[in-house]
Amino acid sequence: MSQLEYIIQQIINAVSLGSLYALVAVGLSIVFGVLKLTNFAHGDVMMVGAFTTVLLIGIGMPFAPAMLCGILASAVAGFLIERIAYRPIRNAPDVTRLLTSLAVTYILENLGILLFTSSPRNFPLPDILNTSWQLSGGAITFTNINVLTVALTFVSLIGLGWFITRTTIGLGMRAAAEDMQAAQLVGLNVNKVIIIAFIVASAYAGLAGVLWAAQAGVVQPQMGFTPLLKAFVAAIIGGFGSISGALLGGYMLGALEIFIVAFMPDVVVPYRDAIVFALLIAFLLFRPGGLMQPNREIKL
Amino acid sequence: MMKLSRRAAIGLGLGAAFAFSTVGAYAADPIKIGFPANVTGVQASLDGPMLNGAKLAVAEINAAGGVLGSPLELVTYDSKSDATVISTVASQLIDSDKVVGIIGFADSDSVLSIGPQVDKAKIPFITPGATSPKLPSQLGDQVFLAAFGDNVQAAVGAEFALNKLGAKTGYLLTDIGSEYTTLLSDYFVSAYEHGGGKLLGKDTYKIGDKNFTAQIAKIKALPEQPAFIYASSNAEEIGLILKQLRQAGINLPVVGGDGYDTPLLLEVGGAAANDAYFTTHAFMGEGASPAVQAFSDAYKKATGNAPENSFAALGYDAVKLMADAIKRAGAPEPAKIRDAIAATSGLPGVTGTITYRPGVAVPDKSVSVIGVKDGKLMLASEAAPAFVPEP
Amino acid sequence: MKADLRIPLAVAAALILAAVVAFGAPHVVGDYFVRILLLIALNSILVLSLSLSNGFTGVFSLGHVGFIGAGAYAAGILSLTVQQKKALLPHLPDLLNWFSLPFLPATLAAGLFAAILAVIVGYPLMRLSGYFVSVATMGFLIIVNVVLINASDFTRGARTFTGVPLATSLPWVLGWLAVTLLVLSRLVYSPFGRRMKAVRDDTIAASAVGISVLRARLVAFVIGAFFAGVGGSLYAHYLGSFSPNTFYFAMTMNLIAMLVLGGMGSLSGAIIGVICVSILSEVLRSVERGFTIGDITVPALFGASQIVLGFLFILIMIFRPKGIMGDRELTFGLSGRSANHNQKEGKDR
Repeated sequence: MSQLEYIIQQIINAVSLGSLYALVAVGLSIVFGVLKLTNFAHGDVMMVGAFTTVLLIGIGMPFAPAMLCGILASAVAGFLIERIAYRPIRNAPDVTRLLTSLAVTYILENLGILLFTSSPRNFPLPDILNTSWQLSGGAITFTNINVLTVALTFVSLIGLGWFITRTTIGLGMRAAAEDMQAAQLVGLNVNKVIIIAFIVASAYAGLAGVLWAAQAGVVQPQMGFTPLLKAFVAAIIGGFGSISGALLGGYMLGALEIFIVAFMPDVVVPYRDAIVFALLIAFLLFRPGGLMQPNREIKL
Repeated sequence: MMKLSRRAAIGLGLGAAFAFSTVGAYAADPIKIGFPANVTGVQASLDGPMLNGAKLAVAEINAAGGVLGSPLELVTYDSKSDATVISTVASQLIDSDKVVGIIGFADSDSVLSIGPQVDKAKIPFITPGATSPKLPSQLGDQVFLAAFGDNVQAAVGAEFALNKLGAKTGYLLTDIGSEYTTLLSDYFVSAYEHGGGKLLGKDTYKIGDKNFTAQIAKIKALPEQPAFIYASSNAEEIGLILKQLRQAGINLPVVGGDGYDTPLLLEVGGAAANDAYFTTHAFMGEGASPAVQAFSDAYKKATGNAPENSFAALGYDAVKLMADAIKRAGAPEPAKIRDAIAATSGLPGVTGTITYRPGVAVPDKSVSVIGVKDGKLMLASEAAPAFVPEP
Repeated sequence: MKADLRIPLAVAAALILAAVVAFGAPHVVGDYFVRILLLIALNSILVLSLSLSNGFTGVFSLGHVGFIGAGAYAAGILSLTVQQKKALLPHLPDLLNWFSLPFLPATLAAGLFAAILAVIVGYPLMRLSGYFVSVATMGFLIIVNVVLINASDFTRGARTFTGVPLATSLPWVLGWLAVTLLVLSRLVYSPFGRRMKAVRDDTIAASAVGISVLRARLVAFVIGAFFAGVGGSLYAHYLGSFSPNTFYFAMTMNLIAMLVLGGMGSLSGAIIGVICVSILSEVLRSVERGFTIGDITVPALFGASQIVLGFLFILIMIFRPKGIMGDRELTFGLSGRSANHNQKEGKDR
């Protein structure tokens, strides 16, 4: 295996991982943009989508419709969470809302454990998606699920781009993200915009959850936590609340993680997560608006 | 140690129901045995089946007339995989419930948390599933293991690779996120190098990781390919590691410890699990020994599903071990029970025969090596190692 | 000012009573109840130390448990015996491996270590506000966890840190709780405390009238971290063995639930929150394993206790966002004036 092949392989790995991070981060950013809410429950909405898909495949549904139902289930979960837990405290201080989302996480996770136990379950992926491609005499490999992840990331994001630039509700979401009060003054139906934003973000979580579980091979109630933390980092690096920023942040984080494991000395590799979160803190301090909003000010 | 399995909680519910129904037919007071279990939290997939196995053993013992004329009663609390809760539960069992012995846990962390209290109260304690051979020396003479030590299973794994696979060079992949996997790797290295094997490289990951492609690309980039990979992994990751290895075109044999021993290995790994081997407590697949088969059937009848892993059998064996000791002690008194456990010799169990050498609280048990062939588990060898690393 | 001093006095009176309980309890009730009392007192120290930044200064840190973990490990390393160090931590630097500290100095050192860490971390981070400081401190918690897992020469890595002498007893914990309460009540109800609250209630106005926001936050953060480190040492000497994940998100969630339930701007509220959550958890833990009343058998529903706590938390957030006590203090009727004073302060918000 040549050095070049090694590098190409790691780039492929980075793009595949980055796509997953980007998908989670985009959903997180939509909610943050519109509501200024750091939604810890996003990871658990992913879990809802992934579990629904697994259960439906379990009763014999093919992968594609099961995945669509999973996304739908996530959207419904997001809708319910917003109505039941978040709406009553919409005007409460940041911290109250952050804590409420933590409590929602705690409930969903433990509900999942009560219903399904905390043991991991197999994610039955159809063989076609497990098939791997071998290039350059087997030195470079990737699988169809990698391809599907990257493809769905792009397709769904193009769809999202169309939605927020071409539809009234999408434009309303952007207006609300820019300035909620002004949007309200010009007659925007805030409830509608927020609920749509939540549904869209949760559907993204569902898609991300299914793809994450498909790549991981297992689902379990606490599966949402790691992607959520990573997505926080990705979203903040990119510029929290910015959709293009979340996309950029996701791919950068994927690349950074793979770079650390692939090219850094062995002593450094185990500190990967520490490096990633140190980067997060550095961004919050020195470039709080992330890469996309360099002028944002969030200090004292 | 690790985690795995399915439907444990539902099984627990059922188990609770039948446990309740068996007490009451006796005139004598029940003999209380504490069974703290991490039925929620990270350890749930091991402790859940273990508790089911233990309840099955209690039901069988009580149906056959109990011990010393009294029924056994298993006093169970959820210790939530949390050190603080474990210490509270321990005092509840010792102080409020007045148990005469305690059985519990599949991981060394939890045993270390309960150890000081059982030592102070002089209550005999058997851990069905924890495999760190250092536990008895760390915690005092009340603590017994019902399973073999990690040093033994790592040595068996190393000797299996050297002798049966003929693998003189290896590569080590370690999950550095848990005590069990780190310890297992350390023992493996000393046993493998003692046997003349050579490690071409080492790499790490952390429990919860889902993407091992970067580590795998590193293996492929090695100047000399190893003859096998020793992956010290927990249940969630191993299927995935195998899948990603095979997808990257690495078809080397992969060897590991009892962390592999869950249905997930075959479910997640699929065809990629072929040529994976692991050391564990009992072979529970097709063609298993009659004792295992009988246990398997009874477990299925009680919980509705086949044993999730060999921890179910270990929980069962630990209760039988405790009951046997109480019988030989002649009275439900902790000090006598403790001495009776230490004197156990040739007690047959589902997971092998238990004998404690004088002064050693880790039993001498044979280790099963199970391999995957054509998508099925098969017994590859059953052995005691020639060289065992110091605990 | 006189009124302010009465809170510490009331607290001290209550604690003398508690001290009688502390030495008397083990003779009257069983070990289990002593442990529950001890855990309530220990968690009170942790929640009080958390309330200083999160409640009184408005810097909602999710990284507090990082200081507790740092304190626990620091104390553990210091108080292992020399032989244990050789056996368990063979690669410990020479500086640390030739001595062993008794419980009290090890605990003080743990507190100091956490406080120094808080100065280093807090100096940059206390410039952030709102959810950004929450996310940044959460990042700190994760970094501490990664370092604890990887600095295996000091911590044994992911393997259990064990062998710490079981020195934590009820009198010790209540003693430390008294110290914590005295220091915190003096601080919170001092002019400096009012500055902290001004920073919390209106950061811009506070800096406009010349209050150094960074300084107020940093002082709260560092003092909070000191007691977190002390609490960590008490925890270490209570459990005897622990691993990096003992001090991670589960503990964070637990402490925050206690703080929020009790009331974020009240010292007595913090303690009430601890008592309520602790007792509720204990009761639920015994109920969830199933029970039989007459002919009805309720099967085990392990995990139900966590869900009940989660719902309770959300209900509190929606219907009583300031918790049980809000900004008020329980003063055992010893200082009515002080209570009024606090209520007036509460209205200023």
